[in-house]
Amino acid sequence: MVEYLQSLTPDLNTWLMFTSALFALGIYGMLSRRNAVGVLLSLELCLNAGAVNFALFNRFWSPVQVDGAVMSLFVIAIAAAEVVVAMAIFVALFGYRRTVDVTQLNLVRE
Amino acid sequence: MVGQAVANVLFYLIVAVSLWLAWSVVSSRRILRAAVALMGVLGASAGLYLLLGFPFLAGVQVLVYVGGIVVLLVFAVMLTRSQELLEDHPSDLRHKVAVLAGGAFFGVHLWALRGMPSARAPRVSLPASDTEMLGRALLSTGADGYALPFEVVSLILLAAMIGGIVIARKTQPGQAATTEPVHPLAADAALTAAGSAEQLAESAPAPVSPPVREAAHG
Repeated sequence: MVEYLQSLTPDLNTWLMFTSALFALGIYGMLSRRNAVGVLLSLELCLNAGAVNFALFNRFWSPVQVDGAVMSLFVIAIAAAEVVVAMAIFVALFGYRRTVDVTQLNLVRE
Repeated sequence: MVGQAVANVLFYLIVAVSLWLAWSVVSSRRILRAAVALMGVLGASAGLYLLLGFPFLAGVQVLVYVGGIVVLLVFAVMLTRSQELLEDHPSDLRHKVAVLAGGAFFGVHLWALRGMPSARAPRVSLPASDTEMLGRALLSTGADGYALPFEVVSLILLAAMIGGIVIARKTQPGQAATTEPVHPLAADAALTAAGSAEQLAESAPAPVSPPVREAAHG
């Protein structure tokens, strides 16, 4: 069923328009959010759009190989590592400054 | 003909839900609501992976992204709750700059796509499961194998886990521990998420991988 459906999905440009819209929303969120965790959430949107694009080009350009899907796996793994470090930084920062507002965090040293 | 319609309806349904949820990720006032919306976006992307013919990738997306990363983000939201940030209004200038940047990216991308020849997914007989092919690709040491990047990713995850614990701990390694650990959950959560992602990466090559299910919860 799925194998049957996947050759009938819309063309490549429609998919790419969707992923770029997702990425553009992520850019908007990264620049407009004040909460640092919100910036990280928007960043995850961008990473996810990139991972979908890897699988997309894999499917449309070299469907008998899985190189793009492997790259999607790596993107997901790197996103996990990045979120772990970012969360540790936010928690430590909250311990020192009692805020994670990125507009207030403009001191390089105390 | 019917298959075409079904595929189109599925695709546009997932796209509409994704974009709506993504908009609430970037615009919701409450950050916890945004995190839940992100969970929905990532789940919808798992549906897109299925539609593209990568069921294993869809499973990894749900287990690692929805089950691990978003839960960790919710931990981050709860551990850094400050009252004045409940209403997350961007200032006028920041709002304008963000709209300009996002809109410019989207516009340039559309302009570039307009001149590009589009393509439909080629009709080829796909392998029955992508799991076996992914496993072979990840562990093969030949010219088209990814054994070295795979091991490097394992190292990165280990380094991120240790780094997360070191950064989030209250006392410096040389000092004596104080009696009040401020965020005991932080180090635990960092350990759990990094560990689950790493276990998943390790167990990816196996065609049947029972530890994956436990890793998502563990």
